[in-house]
Amino acid sequence: MNRSFNKSQSLRYLDCTAVEVKSKYGAEFRRFSVDRFKPGKFEEFYKLILHIHRITNMEVMLGYADVHGDLLPINNDDNFCKAVSTANPLLRVFIQRQEEVDYSSFGTNTLTRKKKAVVTLRNDVNRKRPHIRIGMPQDFRPVSSIIDVDILPESHRRVRLYRHGSDKPLGFYIRDGTSVRVTPHGLEKVPGIFISRMVPGGLAESTGLLAVNDEVLEVNGIEVTGKTLDQVTDMMIANSHNLIITVKPVNQRNNIVRSSRISGSSGQSTDSGSSAGFAGMPPPIAGHSFPPDDLESDEESDIVIESNLKRPSRRSTSSTASRAQPQAMPPAPPPPPPPSPPRPPSVISTASFHSQPSLNGAGNHNLSYKLHRDLNLQHHHSSTPIIRESNGSLHKILNTLRTDPRHSLALPRGGVEEDGTVITL
Amino acid sequence: MKRFRRHGQETHRDRLKQELYQFAKTVEHGFPHQPSALGYSPNLQLLAIGTRSGAIKLYGAPGVEFMGLHDENAAVTQIHFLPHQGELITLLDDNSLHMWTLRAHQGLSELLEVGRFTLTGPPGAPPSVTRVTAVLAHSSGELLFLGTEGGHVFVVEVPGFRELEERNISVEAVQQRVPEDYMGRRNLECVEALQENPLNPHQILIGYSRGLMLTWDLDTNCSRHHFLGTQQLESVWWTPDGQQILSSHSDGSYCQWTLNDEDRQAEPDKHEMPYGTFPCKAISKIMQLSTKQGPPFLIFSGGMPRASYGDRHCISVIHSKTHVALDFTSRIIDYFATTSGAQGKGEPSALVVLVEEELVVVDLETEGWPVIQTPYLAPLHCSAITCSHHVSNIPLKLWERIRAAGQHQSAHYSRKPWPVKGGQNLAPDAPQRDLLLTGHEDGTVRFWDASGVCLYPLYKLSTAGVFHADADTTDNMNHGAEGEWPPFRKVGCFDPYSDDPRLGIQKIHLCKYSGYLAVAGTAGQIVVLELNDEPAEQLVEGTLADLLQGQEGFRWKGHTRLEVREEAVAFPAGFQPFALVQCQPPAVVTSLALHSEWKLVAFGTSHGFGLYDYQQKNTVLVRCTLNPSDQLALEGPLSRVKSIKKSLRQSFRRIRRSRVSVRKHHVGNAAKLQEINARLEAEALQEMELAPVQRKIEARSSDDSFTGLVRTLYFADSFLSDGSHNSPSLWAGTNGGSVFAYTLRLPPSDRRMEDPITAYPAKEIQLMHRAPVVGIVVLDGRGAPLPEPLEVAHDLARSPDMHNAHHLLVISEEQFKMFTLPKVSSKLKLKLTALDGSRVRKVGVASFGSSRVEDYSESGLVVLTNQGDLHVISLPSLKMQVRYPCVRREDVSGIASCVFTKYGQGFYLISPSEFERFSLSARWLVEPRCLVELPPTPSSSASKPLPRAQPDGAAVQHRNFRRDRENCEENVSPRVMEHALLNDEKVLQEIQRSLEGDQTSYLEHHSKSKPGGGKLITNGE
Repeated sequence: MNRSFNKSQSLRYLDCTAVEVKSKYGAEFRRFSVDRFKPGKFEEFYKLILHIHRITNMEVMLGYADVHGDLLPINNDDNFCKAVSTANPLLRVFIQRQEEVDYSSFGTNTLTRKKKAVVTLRNDVNRKRPHIRIGMPQDFRPVSSIIDVDILPESHRRVRLYRHGSDKPLGFYIRDGTSVRVTPHGLEKVPGIFISRMVPGGLAESTGLLAVNDEVLEVNGIEVTGKTLDQVTDMMIANSHNLIITVKPVNQRNNIVRSSRISGSSGQSTDSGSSAGFAGMPPPIAGHSFPPDDLESDEESDIVIESNLKRPSRRSTSSTASRAQPQAMPPAPPPPPPPSPPRPPSVISTASFHSQPSLNGAGNHNLSYKLHRDLNLQHHHSSTPIIRESNGSLHKILNTLRTDPRHSLALPRGGVEEDGTVITL
Repeated sequence: MKRFRRHGQETHRDRLKQELYQFAKTVEHGFPHQPSALGYSPNLQLLAIGTRSGAIKLYGAPGVEFMGLHDENAAVTQIHFLPHQGELITLLDDNSLHMWTLRAHQGLSELLEVGRFTLTGPPGAPPSVTRVTAVLAHSSGELLFLGTEGGHVFVVEVPGFRELEERNISVEAVQQRVPEDYMGRRNLECVEALQENPLNPHQILIGYSRGLMLTWDLDTNCSRHHFLGTQQLESVWWTPDGQQILSSHSDGSYCQWTLNDEDRQAEPDKHEMPYGTFPCKAISKIMQLSTKQGPPFLIFSGGMPRASYGDRHCISVIHSKTHVALDFTSRIIDYFATTSGAQGKGEPSALVVLVEEELVVVDLETEGWPVIQTPYLAPLHCSAITCSHHVSNIPLKLWERIRAAGQHQSAHYSRKPWPVKGGQNLAPDAPQRDLLLTGHEDGTVRFWDASGVCLYPLYKLSTAGVFHADADTTDNMNHGAEGEWPPFRKVGCFDPYSDDPRLGIQKIHLCKYSGYLAVAGTAGQIVVLELNDEPAEQLVEGTLADLLQGQEGFRWKGHTRLEVREEAVAFPAGFQPFALVQCQPPAVVTSLALHSEWKLVAFGTSHGFGLYDYQQKNTVLVRCTLNPSDQLALEGPLSRVKSIKKSLRQSFRRIRRSRVSVRKHHVGNAAKLQEINARLEAEALQEMELAPVQRKIEARSSDDSFTGLVRTLYFADSFLSDGSHNSPSLWAGTNGGSVFAYTLRLPPSDRRMEDPITAYPAKEIQLMHRAPVVGIVVLDGRGAPLPEPLEVAHDLARSPDMHNAHHLLVISEEQFKMFTLPKVSSKLKLKLTALDGSRVRKVGVASFGSSRVEDYSESGLVVLTNQGDLHVISLPSLKMQVRYPCVRREDVSGIASCVFTKYGQGFYLISPSEFERFSLSARWLVEPRCLVELPPTPSSSASKPLPRAQPDGAAVQHRNFRRDRENCEENVSPRVMEHALLNDEKVLQEIQRSLEGDQTSYLEHHSKSKPGGGKLITNGE
C-alpha cells in the first residue's frame, strides 16, 4: 500500500493527467495507465484489460477499490469514469471470471472485511447474508423515485413505484385511521388512509421511501379524502403498474432538504445524502396534477395475439395440431372450409402465428424488444412443420413473458407451441 | 376564439345532456319486504300495507299505487283510514301516530305525511299508560280513540291531534262499574280492541285483554253494557246489524254475546272452540259477515290444535255447511273482506289476506272459493330469484303467444275482477311491451309484464321436467285426504324451499324475434327452448361439453351433473326444451349468449367456454381457459357452500315448525331487543377498531383464483381477420382480463343442416391490468353498437355500417378500452377505477332519446359501479356523461341484481321480493300517475277537510302555533314532539312569522274549515 502510494506520488510529477492502473487477475498483476480526464469508454477499457491479461475469450467481471476501501464493480461507462476520477492515486482493478464472481465481495467495507476474513476463518465469509446480484447495465431499471419535491410541502412525499417487468410484489397494506388536520376551527380529527404493513422483500419496503403509518394523501394525483378503504385499494391496484403515492411520512425527520435536490435515488433513503442519480433514469416528472394518461408509460399496453387463419387441421379427439405456414405467404382471406366429417366436440383449432416487425414497439424499453427477439428466435426454432400441442399454452407463455423477460430467453418448460407470434406492445 | 368556441360546444353538450338524461327511481315492483300492518278503506277502495322498515304503500285499481316512508325507522303496527276521508293514521312501533293524506296536485294524487303525534300521559306516569295498543278511527272522522297498555282510552281530535282530556275513558272510571267479584285483585290489562257500533256512532265497544268488554256511550260518557268474559281476549267483532258481539280468545275459542237490556252478562250466548278438545292456539282475529239470504260468513284466523297443527298459518272460513281452513305458507299479518256494495255494504265478495310473503285474495262469491290472481304485489320470491333478464320492445306476436301460454297456466284462478279498485290510473299506455324474466332457485323462469307500473305475471316456465330431480313427488302434505280435520286447503304460491339447488337458473337469454330461449343453470346445464303453442312430448338429449380438454391433475369436488330423463317428457304449451348441453365439470354457468340467426348458443363457466349449434345439436367449439395453478376453480368451491346451505335450510324448517305465533303486543320485548341489538352493534364496532381492517395492495397476477372464469360472451358480425370481409365471430372475456376471439364459418343456408360450423381462433388479447372483462361490444362504422341478431331482418334497426372500420370495445371492471379492428390496437380508453376507485359491476348498452326532439337519440353505456353509482358513458367517445348515486354501496345483492333495459331504465332488488325500477332516460319514464277522487262527504260533516296546496311546512307551522297557544293557555307540560320541533330552527322561524302576521290562517285552521294539507315530509317519490 505504502509503496504504491509513493510510486504514484512520483508518477504524478511526471504526468498529472495519467492514472496508474494496477490490475490483478488471479495471482497476476499488470500495470498500465489511463488518462484521468479522458478515460474513454468502458468497453474499450474492458477490451484493454482482457488484452493485457491475455484472457481475450473470457467473460470477466471488473471491480476496483475505491477510496474507502470498498470493492465496487466497473461495468459501465459511469462507474468506470467514477473509478478513474476518484483513483487516489492508484486505481486497483480486480478481475474475476464471470462464472466465479462472488457478489458478496462487493459493497461497503468489503475489502477491509475480506482482509479480516482472511485472517480469521474462511467459513465466516461464506455465511454472510445472501448476496444481491448486480446485473449488467442493460438490466438496470429504476424501482422507485421521489418526485415533485419542488412543488410539494416539505412534510409530504410523492413516491413513484415502478413495477414494470418485475415479479416483485408491491408489498404493502393500507388501513383506515384518523389523522389530525389544522382547520380554521382548530385541530380536527378526520378519517384517513394509512400504510399498515410492509411485506418483507416487497417493492415498497425495498425502496425505503414508504413506512408503516405513513398517511396516504393521493394516489396518482387523485386525493383519497372521502374515499373508502376499498376504493383506495382499487385505485392503487388499478395503478399498480405505475403507482404514485403521495404520503405524509410518519417520520418527519428524514424530510428532503430543499437545497439539495436529489432526484431518483434508488434503493436508498433520501437522507443519506451520498446517493447519486443513475444516468439514464427518467427525469422526475414535474407538474402539479397527474392526468393518469400522461403518466402512463407504454408498459401498460395489452398483449394482442393475432393469428392468421389457415386450413383447419383434422385431428383426433383431444390433441390439437397445427401446420406451419410458409412465412412468405401473405395474409389472405381464409379458404372455404373443406367438407369434413362432423367434428368431435372437443376439437380446438389452433392458430398459426406469423411474425411481423412490431409496429410501435421500437421506442419501447428493453422488455418489448426482448420479447420480440425471443419470439422470433422461437419462431426459427420451431418453423419446421411439426405437430404440437396447443391448449391454452399461449396464455401461459404470455404470462411468463410478462412477468420476467429472462425466463422467456431460456424458453421455459412449457415451450412456445405456436409457429410465430405477433406481439404488439 | 378557439377557447370560446369550445365553451360554446360544452354548453351545447350540457343542454343536450339535460334533454337525454334524468334520473328517478320510479316504482317498486313486487311484494313489500316484511309487511307488518294492513289497512283498508271501503270508501276509497284502497288497501294500505305498512312494513317493518316504516314504509307504507297504498294500492287500488291496477296501476294505482302510492308510497310513503316514515322518518322513523320503526315498524308500522297499525293502519287506519279515517272513514269517508282521504286520510289515514299509522301507528308505529315507537308509539308515534302519523297522519297521511292523499292530496291532489296538478291532477294527480300524492301521499303526504301531514302530522305526527305521540300520546303524553300525566307527568310521572309509566310509559305503559300511553303505549297505544288499539286505535279506533271514529266514523265522524273527527275523533281517534286510542286504547293503551295501561287500560286507558284517550280521545284525540283529528286532524291536528288535540287531546280531549275531558273525554278520556280512564281505567278507574271503568272499574267503578264492574262488579267487585269479577275484578278481584287483578287489573283489566291493556285495551285489546276498540269497535264502533255499526248503527249507532255514539257507542263504542272496549275490550280489555283480561276478557272484559263493555260498551261506552259517548254522549253520556258512561258505560252501558258489560260482558264479563273470563278468557284472555284477542279480538272483538260487532256484527253489522249491531245486535251481536263476537269475541275471540287466546285458548282458541270464540264467544257470541247479544246486546240486550241487561247491564251485565257473565256468560256468552255461545261459546265455541272450533278445533276443540285438545288445547288450541289463539284465534287472533274474528269477523262475521252477514248475507242477505242464508247464513253469514264466519272468518277467523288461528285456533288450530296446538300440538298437531300449531305451526300452520290458517284462516278458517265457515259458510253454511262449507268449512275450509285456508293454509298459508307464511305468517298471517292481517286480513279483511271486501263487499260487493259500496261503503262496505252488500254481500261479502272477497277475502283479502296479507301474509308475510304475499297477498292472497280469495273469491267468496264463486263456488269453491278460488284465488283471484293479484295484478300487483306479486311475490317475486316464490322461489328465490337467482338472476334476471330484461327484453325491451317485444313484438306483438310473441307477446300474444306468451300470454296465451300463461293463460293455460292460470286456469285455476277465479275469473272475478280484482276487488280493490280505488283510484284512477292516469298513466299513459306503456310505450312498448317489455318483458322481465326472472330465474329462480327451483329451476323456473317467470315472465313478467314489465311495460307499466304493475309487474304482472305472464307465464311461468319450469326446466325441472328435463331432469330427474331429487324432489320427492310423493310429498303431498298439501292435499288433505277426504274428511280430514281441520279441512286444510293450501293457498298462496310462496315456497322458498328448493329441493335441488342445482336446478337454479343462472343466465337467461331470450331472442324476441324467433322465440328461442336459452336458459343456463347452477349445474352447468344449458337448455335451449322454443315457443310452441301446442302441448308436445319432447325427448331432450343431453350433449356433454368437456371444458377441461384433458387438463391434468384435477378433481372436481363440487356437485354432480343433473341426470337427464331418457324418455320423452310431455311439456305444456309454451316454451318447450329441445336441446341440452351439460358442461363437464358441472360448474355454474357464468355467461351465456344466444344467436338465433346463426342458431348458436355460447356458454361459459369457470373452466372455459363452448359453442353449441342447436340446429345440428352438436358442439362446435370448446375452449379451456383454466389456469393450471388455479386450484380453487379446479375443485369447485360450491361443494362446501352447498352443504352449509342444505343444513341451513333444514334448520330453518325446524325453526318454522317450532315457532309459535307471535303475539301482537310485545311492547317491552321489542324495546329490550332493540337495546340489546344496539349494544351488540356497539361492541362489534369496538372490536373492529381494535383490529383494524387492512387491505393488501398488490397487482393482479395470472396466479389469482378464477382468472379463467368466463364473464362475458358476445356474437358479432364484424371485421375480425381483414378489413374488407366481415365474418361471424364469437368473443369471450375472462376474469383474468383475457379476450378470446374466434372466427366462425357458417355454411350457406341451404346446407345449414349438413355442413358443419367451424370456429378458428383469431385473436387473443391480454389486458395488462388484468381486471375481469365484464362486457364486449363491437361498434359499427358509425360508432353505434351492432344490432341484435334478426333485428335488422325485422326492420327494427338500421343495418350496421359495414363500410367504415369497426371498433371493439372491451369493458373491464376497471377500464373501458376501445380497439381498432381488424388490427387490434388500443385507440381510446377511460380508466374508471384509476380515477375514482369505483369498479364496474354491471354494464349495458342503451339508447337515449331526447325529451325535446322526437327523432334524436344516441347510444350510451349504462354502468353500475360497486359504489352503487350509475354512470352513463357516451359511445363511441367514451366520455362520462352523468353520474347518479342509486344503490347503497353496502347493498351488494342489490348491485348484483341490477339489469338494464335497452332504453335507459333498470331494475334492482331492494329486498328478496322487490324490484326498484329506475330510469336514466329523460324520454322514457314508467311511473305511477294516478288520482284518487275523494268520495262525496256526508252533509253532516261539512267541515270535511279539502286537501289544499300550501307551501312546505305550513302544516307544521299551524299546528305548532296552535300548540304554542294552548300551552300558554292551558299550561300543559311541554310535549316531547313539540320540543323536537321547536329545536328546529326553520320551524321556529315559521312560528315567529305566523305569530307576527297571518292571524287569519291560524283562525281558519283552528275552525278546521280549511286545514292545511301542507307538506311536512314528502316521501311520495
